[in-house]
Amino acid sequence: MPATTISAIEARRTGTRFVLLCIGAIIAILLIATAFLLFTLPDANAFNARVEQVFIENSDLTGQAELRLLEILAQSGTAFADTLAGYRMVITVLLVFATAMLVAAVAALVMLVLLNRRMAQIEHSGIQVNSLILSREEKTVYLNNMAFKLTEAAIETLGVLAEARMDDEMLNGAEIEGMISGRNAADCDEASGATRIKRLRDALGNQLMTELLVKNIARKGYVLAIDKSVIQIV
Amino acid sequence: MKHVIAPLTLLIFIAGSANAACYADYKAKRDAPLRLHYGVSQINGDCTVANAQSELTDRIASDKWELLAVLSVFDENGLEERRGNAGDYYLRY
Repeated sequence: MPATTISAIEARRTGTRFVLLCIGAIIAILLIATAFLLFTLPDANAFNARVEQVFIENSDLTGQAELRLLEILAQSGTAFADTLAGYRMVITVLLVFATAMLVAAVAALVMLVLLNRRMAQIEHSGIQVNSLILSREEKTVYLNNMAFKLTEAAIETLGVLAEARMDDEMLNGAEIEGMISGRNAADCDEASGATRIKRLRDALGNQLMTELLVKNIARKGYVLAIDKSVIQIV
Repeated sequence: MKHVIAPLTLLIFIAGSANAACYADYKAKRDAPLRLHYGVSQINGDCTVANAQSELTDRIASDKWELLAVLSVFDENGLEERRGNAGDYYLRY
């Protein structure tokens, strides 16, 4: 498998894990903040309890007017607690929005980093095959929507390679020859498969294609040096 | 005869003081919204704060008041000075 593909997938994997970690951390922090907010703010009874305590502790607080004053104090406290409940609601809603924004920001940031890395790879490798559409009827292969007319034999070779790539397999010359001619691979000559590969490369543009598309891995065989998800056979 | 009368008088005096009315002043509350009141009430049993507490808790609970504290127990001499502060709750329960 080509090194560039591996690193791209790995980058995406670590990226996904990193994004999930970040999002988890953000949600955890904001959940803790929300819980802290909801459970530590005083409720209506806190004011009443305080007034009651003042009433009990001061034995000379017995006058009618003093009691009415204490009651008014407790009521204003309760009214303030209602206001606090409203604030709590607003703050919770704002926290939820903040969470959403932070999550979106982290996701966008990581996406940007990954995109940059991918751009660097694309710049490095020069030409990236984004789509390979093989049309047997038209005897044409479309690389990045550029059409290349091929011979019947070359189309067969490319088709075999594409199917092998989609199955994550590598084929040597004998296996290629066997699959195309329909004979057992053991009966086939390695050289005839290599000839088919050579003809395919010749038809597509030889050295450039050798590097970008039809790669030879020493002692293992031939493989299409592209991501298998871009391959389509029609 | 005189020897008989003196202890008898003493006996009557002691009995009289034991029969003297007992009163307690207390603080009570009611929740939602918080209402407070200071009241004076007559106690039927022993003239102690503990007894007053148990008696009053039941008595004012009938009107959904919750007893917070019994401040003191006293006899009728202490009534008049507390009448003003107790207001509506003067000897109500």
